[in-house]
Amino acid sequence: MTHTQKRILINNIVMFLSTLSAVIGIGFLLWILSVLVINGLDALSMIIFTNEGAPPGNDNGGLKHALIGQLMLVSYAALFGVPLGVLAGTYLSEYGLKSKLSETIRDISDIMMSAPSIVIGAFVYAIVVSPMGHFSGWAGSIALTIIMIPIILRTTDDMLQLVPSTLREAAFALGAPKYKVIIQIVYRGAKAGILTGVLLGVARVAGETAPLLFTSFNDNFLNMDMNQPMASLTVTMYNYATSPYEDWQKLGWAAAFILSMFILSLNIFGRLFLLKKKNK
Amino acid sequence: MATIIEINEPKALEVKNFEFTYAKADAPSIKKLSMPIARHNITALIGPSGCGKTTLLRSFNRIHDLYPGNKYDGEIIFKDRNILTPKEDLIKLRIQIGMIFQKPTAFPMSIFDNVAYGMRLQGIKNKTELQGRVEKALQDAAIWKEVKDRLKHDANGLSGGQQQRLCIARAIAVEPEVLLFDEPTSALDPISTGGIEELVVELRDRVSIIIVTHNMQQAARVSDYTGFMYLGELIELGRTEELFVTPRERLTEEYITGKFG
Repeated sequence: MTHTQKRILINNIVMFLSTLSAVIGIGFLLWILSVLVINGLDALSMIIFTNEGAPPGNDNGGLKHALIGQLMLVSYAALFGVPLGVLAGTYLSEYGLKSKLSETIRDISDIMMSAPSIVIGAFVYAIVVSPMGHFSGWAGSIALTIIMIPIILRTTDDMLQLVPSTLREAAFALGAPKYKVIIQIVYRGAKAGILTGVLLGVARVAGETAPLLFTSFNDNFLNMDMNQPMASLTVTMYNYATSPYEDWQKLGWAAAFILSMFILSLNIFGRLFLLKKKNK
Repeated sequence: MATIIEINEPKALEVKNFEFTYAKADAPSIKKLSMPIARHNITALIGPSGCGKTTLLRSFNRIHDLYPGNKYDGEIIFKDRNILTPKEDLIKLRIQIGMIFQKPTAFPMSIFDNVAYGMRLQGIKNKTELQGRVEKALQDAAIWKEVKDRLKHDANGLSGGQQQRLCIARAIAVEPEVLLFDEPTSALDPISTGGIEELVVELRDRVSIIIVTHNMQQAARVSDYTGFMYLGELIELGRTEELFVTPRERLTEEYITGKFG
């Protein structure tokens, strides 16, 4: 075999192996999605959106309690997490820059991003649930907030740093005070990127189960009091899917389908925004 | 020793024994520099890369202050006061001394809002006044005809040369007394460059101009005075036609004849 033939052979082998790996990866993803869509669509009906949980063997069980609970948990988490994350990211990029403090914050939030979410759940259990004496929606939202902040903080930081420093200088050169430069120029230049970070952060916490098990726990009926245990799609899904009752399992599929579609669309929107930003 | 001619007309700025040291640098980037800047004239700063001309320019509106640790020494006199003191109001100073950057810096907003930005910062809200002054600034920057039908469009849709003229319009809209140009045409094509140069010359009657340029022909074409800088020092300041034809310093002569650079 000549040198060239050998090179072409190795090239083909490597190409084959990497293509195969990619196909296997995408194949599993499509498999998961198709099973989810088939079972989920089958289980979907109007009752799911209008009725609360019901005992097994009763055809009237729905997911209204979990949908509303999920929405409340995630909305409150976003209400706290988005401003905190964006403002902290603003501090890092506009005030701290390369200082020791901001580098430390960046390192810590990188670690927090990869921390197992169940650890966050246990932490909130210790500082909120245990002193209060009971599970609550607030505890769940706090756990989700803690998971959300580092994601939003890091994307905000990155996106603000992408705004060219000459743009800031130009605004300062016109006599603009710093807060106006940040709000009117820097935020404006980075808004698509910041929005992407927010959407991805929200999508990430919407799929969390472990931290909620310890904090908001669950409720089979509609509860809108954040001081009480609260249902979420993820924990409901876990309970229903692992139950021995066929009608509950069906509801579990429906919950999985709705949740996945929600997260999928958040991710797609988030990435579309980012794409638009990069093409500019 | 440097050769610095006497300037017998009113002065816009007067640099006295000025030294500038960047954060974490051991030695000053500008050393004991003294230089008068004539009012309502165009002063060009030339010299090889790293000679300190941009550093000096960025000292006039103290834009260096955005980055911590930089140090000024000596004096820059503007309107009978030293602007290097800590109590100097930088917002007021930067309204009076505007700046045009190397790359166009159109803000991510409409053409109108770009030009109105500086005026709005000063609290001007009256719509008729804003409209009038935006139009005038755009006319003075020779870009009105090209943009008058799309004032509401995103400024980033303009060409590089148009954006640079927009930035000039934005800077003159607040009626500064001094305008600093930091290599304003180095990112532009020859035709846009010609347009900007014409504009700079026209602005001379109402504003004192300091322009940093790598392009010696540009300095010769537009400026009244030229300062040649080398290694952080002002080697020679003279009337432009004299400096280019009969330089008094050997270094100046070597630089303008292309012996180094």
